[in-house]
Amino acid sequence: MNPYLAGIGLGVVLLAAFVLVGRGLGATGAFNSIIAWAVSSVAPEHAQSNEFIAGYLPDDGSSPLKSWLLFEVVGLFAGAMFSGLLAGRAKVTTEKGPRVSVRVRLAMAFAGGVLMAFGAAFARGCTSGQALTGGALLNLGSWAFMMMVFAGAYAVAYFVRWQWR
Amino acid sequence: MAMMAPFLKYGTFGEETSLVLAFLIGIGFGFFLERAGFGSARKLVSQFYLNDLAVFKVMFTAIVTAMLGVTYLGWIGWLDLSLVYLVPTYLLPQVVGGLILGVGFVVGGYCPGTSVAGTATGRIDGLVYVLGIFAGMFAFAELYPWLKGFYLSGSGEALTLPGTFGLPYGVVVFAVVLMAVGGFYGAGLLEKKFAATGE
Amino acid sequence: MPGWFSRLTLTQKLAAAALALGAVALFASPYPGTKVTLDAKELALIVGTEADHVEATELAAWIIESRADYRLIDLRTRAEFEQYHIPTAVNIPMNVLTEAGLGRQEKLVLYSEGGIHAAQAWMLLRAQGYRSAYMLKGGLDEWKDQVVFPVFADNAGPDERARDERRRSISAFFGGQPRSAAAVAAGSDALPGVAAPVTPAMPKVAAPSTPSGTAKPPAKKKKEGC
Repeated sequence: MNPYLAGIGLGVVLLAAFVLVGRGLGATGAFNSIIAWAVSSVAPEHAQSNEFIAGYLPDDGSSPLKSWLLFEVVGLFAGAMFSGLLAGRAKVTTEKGPRVSVRVRLAMAFAGGVLMAFGAAFARGCTSGQALTGGALLNLGSWAFMMMVFAGAYAVAYFVRWQWR
Repeated sequence: MAMMAPFLKYGTFGEETSLVLAFLIGIGFGFFLERAGFGSARKLVSQFYLNDLAVFKVMFTAIVTAMLGVTYLGWIGWLDLSLVYLVPTYLLPQVVGGLILGVGFVVGGYCPGTSVAGTATGRIDGLVYVLGIFAGMFAFAELYPWLKGFYLSGSGEALTLPGTFGLPYGVVVFAVVLMAVGGFYGAGLLEKKFAATGE
Repeated sequence: MPGWFSRLTLTQKLAAAALALGAVALFASPYPGTKVTLDAKELALIVGTEADHVEATELAAWIIESRADYRLIDLRTRAEFEQYHIPTAVNIPMNVLTEAGLGRQEKLVLYSEGGIHAAQAWMLLRAQGYRSAYMLKGGLDEWKDQVVFPVFADNAGPDERARDERRRSISAFFGGQPRSAAAVAAGSDALPGVAAPVTPAMPKVAAPSTPSGTAKPPAKKKKEGC
């Protein structure tokens, strides 16, 4: 799809969130809710005593899985799957360059995820929550964040380009 | 004109409905992410090798669309912009977090939202990326007592560009639109120069 | 559509539209101002049916039952609040009421000394879209008269005695004590200068003092982040 049209579509979805629910999109929080739920199921006292995790456990004792972002991310999964199937872009594969082994690429993917988690934790969000949402709302921290994301990515891209060759 | 939005904050419906809406909005989100091709790591990282700047185009088109939307809806009084949640600003951790996130983006090939989209369309590297996020987030939580100081450094206020720079809201909106359109033009030029090598 | 416009590519049309919208937005002021719109008819109806009132005795029952589905707001000054306030109330002076971050669908019960400020606050809140604001009928004055220092007739019949017992225990719960009707009547006839039976001083707040509808809303709101 024309990137500009896809962007408009995305923008309208974001606007709908603002108008309906008074908040924007996100993704990171859903991961945190799942972790909070998992830890509190296995070791409740530890979950409560860890300030970060406890922040994702509702005060009234209801499940952390009842989180807006979690429902949104589940929808994300469904919507993406639908679009992918519709376009014939859905297939089980590992994206990588021809001269890289699957194992190495997956290791890089894992490492990327770990880094991303730390980045998103410090930044209070990722490209969906901070860049898109905060960007549209002219949030100061979000714009600063956005610029740094591009800076960091461009700075390191050269050194990992072998993944795609 | 009666102010009625954000509807949830005016009590038009309750939490249960908002969760259903979350799911539906998520579908829209995931749909357009994938439509843009962002279920693919290769497409995403092409941004940073300058041969396909779709990430920039999609992201900023979305930002401009939503931004103009809230500006106009707020202006005519249909949306109470002051009730839309603004994530508090912690400048230093957000700047450092952004850098780390950028590196993670280009190393792993996804960001949290797109990794879910990738997983949904069968990308194993997307799935592994998701696992990486879980591992990393869990590690962060465990390390939190030591990271807390840095994590909380900053004012924690909800700050906007117009507010911080003392500019009228509309001026900043216009500036963003100018920057975006200029950027799209520049992106087109860059793409022609570093044309995609097969895709 | 001018000829030149239709000769542009889709992308260029979008760019032109964005620039046009952006230029117009230069003059935008998207935040709501301080002006509000009131639906006079709707409000008159509510006032007429007294749907917006909460009786002092009702409130007393809610407090005793430890109900947590509402927020009790004391609109007076900090000093007045500290001297005495209805248990479980939070002090939000009138002038900072709209900045207090109260949810528009939260059930709010407002009270002031006699009820005038509460009525004004009620009007302001309703005008700004708060749909669940209520006033304590008669304010703190009624609270004293009905709940803390209820007046009992001296020669009550059997039914009245049962009801009086209940009111007595409610009064005791809030640290007050009943007054006899005769004494009150005598007091009100007292001429200036003559020492009248003094209304007992308000009891120290011993009854449940945790503010109603406690910190939960703010804590939950954290999840609005990403």
